[in-house]
Order: sequence, then structure tokens, then C-alpha cells
Amino acid sequence: MPADISDQTLDFLLARAGLDLTPAQKAELKSVYAGIAAMAERVRKPRGIMAEPAHTYLFNEEDL
Amino acid sequence: MAGAAVPTIAAAAKQIAAKQLSPVELTQACLDRVKALDGRLHAFVHLTEERALAEARAAEAAIMAGGPRGPLHGIPIGLKDIVDTKGIPTTCQSKILQDNIPDSDATCTEKLAAAGAVLIGKTTTHEFADGGPSFDLPKPPARNPWNTDHFTAGSSSGTGAGVAAGLILGGIGTDTGGSIRGPAALCGIAGIKPTYGLVSRAGVAPAAFSLDHIGPMAWTAEDCALMLQALAGHDPRDPASSDRPVPNYTASLGSGIKGLRIGVIHHFHEVDYKVSEGTQRGIDAAISTLREMGAEIREVQLSPLQDWQACGSLISITERASAYDEWARTRLGDFSERVQRRLMLGALVSGVDYVQAVRRRRELRAELKAAMAGLDIVVTAAAPAEAPKIDNVPVWDVFDRPSFTIPFNVAGYPAISICAGYGKGALPVAVQLVGKPFDEATVFRVADAFEKATPFRNTRPALD
Repeated sequence: MPADISDQTLDFLLARAGLDLTPAQKAELKSVYAGIAAMAERVRKPRGIMAEPAHTYLFNEEDL
Repeated sequence: MAGAAVPTIAAAAKQIAAKQLSPVELTQACLDRVKALDGRLHAFVHLTEERALAEARAAEAAIMAGGPRGPLHGIPIGLKDIVDTKGIPTTCQSKILQDNIPDSDATCTEKLAAAGAVLIGKTTTHEFADGGPSFDLPKPPARNPWNTDHFTAGSSSGTGAGVAAGLILGGIGTDTGGSIRGPAALCGIAGIKPTYGLVSRAGVAPAAFSLDHIGPMAWTAEDCALMLQALAGHDPRDPASSDRPVPNYTASLGSGIKGLRIGVIHHFHEVDYKVSEGTQRGIDAAISTLREMGAEIREVQLSPLQDWQACGSLISITERASAYDEWARTRLGDFSERVQRRLMLGALVSGVDYVQAVRRRRELRAELKAAMAGLDIVVTAAAPAEAPKIDNVPVWDVFDRPSFTIPFNVAGYPAISICAGYGKGALPVAVQLVGKPFDEATVFRVADAFEKATPFRNTRPALD
């Protein structure tokens, strides 16, 4: 995942999200994109296709 | 009633049961403190004075006739203003819900009312439990009672300030990444995020569905235990609600901690993100105290704090953007600037990013489970430092400063923040104790033992 984002890509993502931002807001969002990219890299681990997600869940006896 | 005279819930309950303390007088004393101090603290967004006095009179009559229902009967509390209250404004501190008056109670509201608690009012929150402090909302942000130039942390900011200042004896907070434990830490009180699924989320505005927890905040861990006893239990209105039997959370209080095995996640607060000198001193002293009390202290190694932060933040950003999608598309400008920024972030996280975060969550939970296999609790920081100035809180701290609390939202494990002393500027510092799922009783046992072995519960903020 690249650590920066073009104006064109940002506009596409905002249009898809339905968000209407000011130029200042767009510039600010662009400035923090690297932070999101770094987080996305941290959760992208080699784990194989069988690794399940956790989602809303309940604990079982074995968790205790 | 001066601050030093404000009783704990446990003490007040004993006096009420012995008919030595009147719920009406206690409620009036809290209301008087609100009127005297809340102009400086902004802990409340809505007072329910008439209702509170009516509830207190009803409690007093019932207690005189047949004794108290339990330890919360006649105890003045506050509810964070994202918790639905039938017939009482619930604004979420947002312009969008300024006229919102729910037609039903949240489950936690119902449970506290059933236990006989007296509702003093709705406490200040960051807008929809996010961002903050914000100065562009209908009501100002709460101020820290230890120094009103300083921040309370959030988002359960009003409950934290109100409890610390003795305006209420306890209250409800919510915690998606630390919103109970952060204000508890900075305001020098106790606040527990229970196990995911233990306390119903029904009727509480969401922040991030799979990370949201409801829990009590009070002056002591014992008081939190008394409140949690009333709050815990299955609720079919919450799809994540557990149907496990609720244990007695106070049964083991006072039994000491000799032989308990306590792990310390040193690398979280000493390597991954170094806490302030005052906070480090507080944690070190707390560990020494626990060791002197007979606990066995061990080292715990987990993935870096930044991994937990990335996982929790990506989930939180995306679930929040989903929950508030309609208003973000149509009324973005009606949110505070800080919440607008948070909602904007949702556009940058892809569906794949989100699911990878949820897959990472499973791995991190398994890691914590393995690390705690031979332990009773683990310990780390609750907050990085003493409360900052309220006008010096970074907007994008989600990227700059990993949270010490979010790992246990990611894992769903119970975690309490308790006061561990006072640091720079005589502001509180805290330590976080984390238990195994549904083992809040051990968390309370250790926290209560620590509080009773140290002098930190003897001092209230000097406001009077």
C-alpha cells in the first residue's frame, strides 16, 4: 500500500464514500493518509487463506 | 457537603442501610455541589433535579419501610449522554440530536433504576463518544477537577469529572478504545471496561459495534464492583450479550492477593511508547506494592502496542463510519470539526483493510490468551502521562500516540484503571489491571487490595 495518495484517487474515494469535503479538509486528509497506510500494513500479515476473522463473538469455556 | 466528606458508594450504602444517612439529603448535597462547581467543571449537559429528588424521596420511604433493595438504593449517579433515558434529552453532545428525547430507556438505565439508583443528570461526552475536546458543540467540554485548565480525557469526560469532584458517587461510561479508562486515569478515579458482552449495549449510541463496552466509573474499585453487579447480565436486545451467570463481584474483596500471579507488559509503556516519569513511577510503585502484598510478578511479552493500535483503529474507524454513514453523507457540517475528521478517515480504509484488521484481531486475542495462561491478571499503563492542558490536545493522536487501553477492546478482556498516585502538577497517574474474560472478580480483588494498601483514595480535588 503506497504511503501517499494522489488528488485523483482521494477524490474517487471521497465520491465513493459520499463525502463532500472542503479543499482544506481534503488537504488535511491527504496529509494523514500515510498513517492509515501504515496501519493497514501492520494488519496485513502472511496468514494463509484459512485464517478466520474475529467478529462479534462470545467467549467459550476454553477462553477462560 | 465538602469534597472530603463525599462518601463512597460502599460507605453511603452502609449508612443508608443503618438509617444514618438520608438518600434525600445525600441527593440534595450532590445537587448543591453541582450548582456550586459545575460552572467550572461542565460535567453535566442536563440536570434532572426534580426527578432526582422525587426518586430520592421514594427511595427513602421504601428504605424506611423495608430496608434497601441493595447497595445502590438511594445513591446519586450520572449517565453519559449517549445513554438513552426515557423522557429525558439524550443529545450525544451533538447538534444533530439536540431535540432527541428517547421513548425508552437503555438497558443499563433500566438496571440502575431497578437497583434504586438516583439519576442526577446526563453527563458530558465527546460528540457521539468520539474526538474531543471540542469547543464547537452546544455545550463546552468537561474540565479536570484536579486543575480546570487541564483535560479529562474522553469520551466519558463528564462522568469522570463528576465522580472525581464528588458531584455524583458513580456513573456510566462507555469505552471503545479507552473512553472509560482514560477519564478514570486522568481524573484519578476507578473505571472498568468489563468483558465484551457482559453489560448490554442496547439503547446506547454506538461508536464501533464490536469494540463498544458499557461500564461503571466511581471513586473506588469496590464501588465499581457494586455498580457492575447491578449492570451485568444477559439482554436479548444486545446481539453480543453473554448469557453466562453473573458472579458475586465483591465476595473476594478483602481476601488479599497473596499467591496471585501478575504479569507486567513492560514493553508497552517502557519501549513501545514511553510514559511520563510520573506515570512510570506510579506503575513501578504499584508493582512493588503488589509484590509486597504477596503477588508473584512475571514479565509478559506481546506484539508491539502499535500492532494493537493499528488493529483497533482500523476497526473503529470503519465501524464508526458505517454507523454514522447517513449523517456523514448528508450533514457532515453539523458534526464538530474533530468528529468530521474522524468520519472522513473512513473513506481511506478499504473493505480488505477492515477484514485484515478483524483477522489480525483473532491472532492478537489468541496471543493474549496464551500469555495469560499462567497468570491471573496483567498490568500496564492506563494513560501515557498526566492530564494535558485542555487547549493542547492533538487532533491526530490516533497516528502519533498508541493507546494503552485499546488492546483490551480489541481482545474484549476486562480492564480497570485505578489511581496510582500523583505526578507532575499534582495531577493523578494511573495503572491498568487486565483480567481474563468474565473474571472481573479477580480484577476487583487486586484493585481493591491496592487501593486499600495505598493512600491515594484519601484525597479529593481541592475545589471547595
